[in-house]
Amino acid sequence: MSDFKRQHPISIFVSFFGNLKQMIITLIVLFFFGSSQTRGPWFYFLVLGALLVFSFLSGFLHWLTFRYRLDEQELHIRQGLIFRKKRYIHQDRVQSIDLNAKLIQRMFNLVEVRIETAGGGDEPEFRIIALNKEEANDIRNELLYGKKKRETEAPDSDGNSVLSEEEIDEETVSKEPDYTWKLSTKRLITAALTSSGIGVAATFVAALFSQVQQFIPETWYETAIGFVVESSVLFILSFLILVLVIAWLIRIVSTVLKYGNFSIEKTGNDIVIARGLLERRQLTLNRRRITAVRLVQNVLRQPFGYTSVYVESAGGGTKDEDLSTILIPLCKETEVKAHLEKIVPDFAFERPLTGLPKKSMKRYMVRLTVPAVIAASAITYFFDYGAYSFAAIIVALLMGYWQYKDAGIGVNERFLWMRMRKFARTTVIVPKKRIQTVEVTSNPLQRLNQLTTLEVSILTSITGKTFSLRHLSKQQSMNYYMWYSYEHSTKYNEETKS
Amino acid sequence: MNEYEPRTVPDQKIAPGALTVWRIASLIELLLFALVPFAYWWLSATFAFLPFWIIFLIIGAWVLYGVFNVILLPKWQWKRWRYKIYENEIELLYGVLVIRRVIIPMIRVQHVDTEQGPLLRKYGLSSVKISTAATVHEIPALEESKADYVRDHIARLAREADPDE
Repeated sequence: MSDFKRQHPISIFVSFFGNLKQMIITLIVLFFFGSSQTRGPWFYFLVLGALLVFSFLSGFLHWLTFRYRLDEQELHIRQGLIFRKKRYIHQDRVQSIDLNAKLIQRMFNLVEVRIETAGGGDEPEFRIIALNKEEANDIRNELLYGKKKRETEAPDSDGNSVLSEEEIDEETVSKEPDYTWKLSTKRLITAALTSSGIGVAATFVAALFSQVQQFIPETWYETAIGFVVESSVLFILSFLILVLVIAWLIRIVSTVLKYGNFSIEKTGNDIVIARGLLERRQLTLNRRRITAVRLVQNVLRQPFGYTSVYVESAGGGTKDEDLSTILIPLCKETEVKAHLEKIVPDFAFERPLTGLPKKSMKRYMVRLTVPAVIAASAITYFFDYGAYSFAAIIVALLMGYWQYKDAGIGVNERFLWMRMRKFARTTVIVPKKRIQTVEVTSNPLQRLNQLTTLEVSILTSITGKTFSLRHLSKQQSMNYYMWYSYEHSTKYNEETKS
Repeated sequence: MNEYEPRTVPDQKIAPGALTVWRIASLIELLLFALVPFAYWWLSATFAFLPFWIIFLIIGAWVLYGVFNVILLPKWQWKRWRYKIYENEIELLYGVLVIRRVIIPMIRVQHVDTEQGPLLRKYGLSSVKISTAATVHEIPALEESKADYVRDHIARLAREADPDE
């Protein structure tokens, strides 16, 4: 038994810089909005200085009081100055382990360890901010692969007993990975060029632009206003294009940084996903915890036959990916099956789709067109060239038709899959035994045409997630509803047995 | 896929007392909203540009909302509410505008609670909350003893449910 250890002292600075980063935003806000000269700028600096000292102190105290010890298959933690807390994290409870290295940690060859535990309650997540790489690896290996002597079947997170796959785990411990895959540079660049989410970046850029206005001298501003008034449409258009181009560039750079050096290694049931150029992130995910696989094709990728693959899992999701984990940032649609076969073999199978009834086409189209008509009417009323905005209705109609065309659903004995489109085309594959509940809903408009929505809920990182497919016929929905019914399938099994 | 026989809708109704409780709750809410016409009356007295006649529109809207929310909606809701507890799953059917029909398999049930607010308690009712790992569902009002029975019954079935499926 070893003694309790502290983290690397750099952790003080990591948390300090983390606070600083947040304060920069506060600082900017203060400068932009708080420049009411009643209190001099020194006041803000004083407050800021106090905050800095305080955050440094709190980082220091955290480092001083935080101690850990790795016991056999169990991590012991003590922390707190006034309120002392002891915590034991046992191997059995670990859902996923994340090794993360931000810039500061990388400079000192350190990593952050993030451990997610099952049924976490108030704190499902647990972090050690700065550790030596070797030590972090020790913790990871001990908690993931440490002696697993379990004679009986242990229940996993959602109450399913785990088949005797434990033995397979044991055999493959510290062996060479069964499968590795790397994202090629060419693919990385393609992924960056076609990455969506320009919208988010664009709003950010636009917000920035509107703030910058404050610093432009009045006279410039007046000339600019004059210019705007003279050539409004042209100016607004070029402004929009400029914003979009800048946003696109931001997206490209951030995608390259995020997914650079992307690799997957599979050892037994553990899938290790490593990625990131500046910030390294290494996530270990258990194959048995995967609750759904999602294929996403955004509008830019679809024409080239590219798609990206996400997995939903109990534990391990990140906020910026909607609580899912990206499994493959970019691959050809035709390669998906081969990849899944290697990484998550249960999910690799043909997925024939049944389309929706004709009458649901109208609902898809109307649903998008009504807001477009309202928006276009308002724009026409308020702006000079507003009537052009009625073109949006055609776009809405086409989009609705496209959504209808692409929607589909299918099942086999163990899986259900649905394909739907908002902008990107998404295919979700869910194992029956991972589905928490199935709902069939209908709103009054749907009832006019005897249409229904099918909703399937699964467990992801912290809470549940619901996938829904709109406008199935009543009969279709009921079929999938009964497919899921445990009462029905049990009876059916009994009948066939006897 | 093979066509399934559509299953008959669940046949268990919720407690008739639910209707009273819902109506009282909506009535309390309605009384709170009665502040709106008074507020407008005061405002129109203070600011000249707010015409007085609009107050009749507001009162009219308030009455309509009251009729809908206190008299009609609870009744429709109550009439629609159905549940059924099978050996392997629970089925719920409810909703006025959006009608929902849900299957909650026993093996997915994590825990079942009964809950009671002051209004439900006064009328000897309880609600039953069924939680899965991802979702929470509620049977809104059953007689206390029935609610306790339903809770224990579901808990037992959930314990016994075969996790291998």
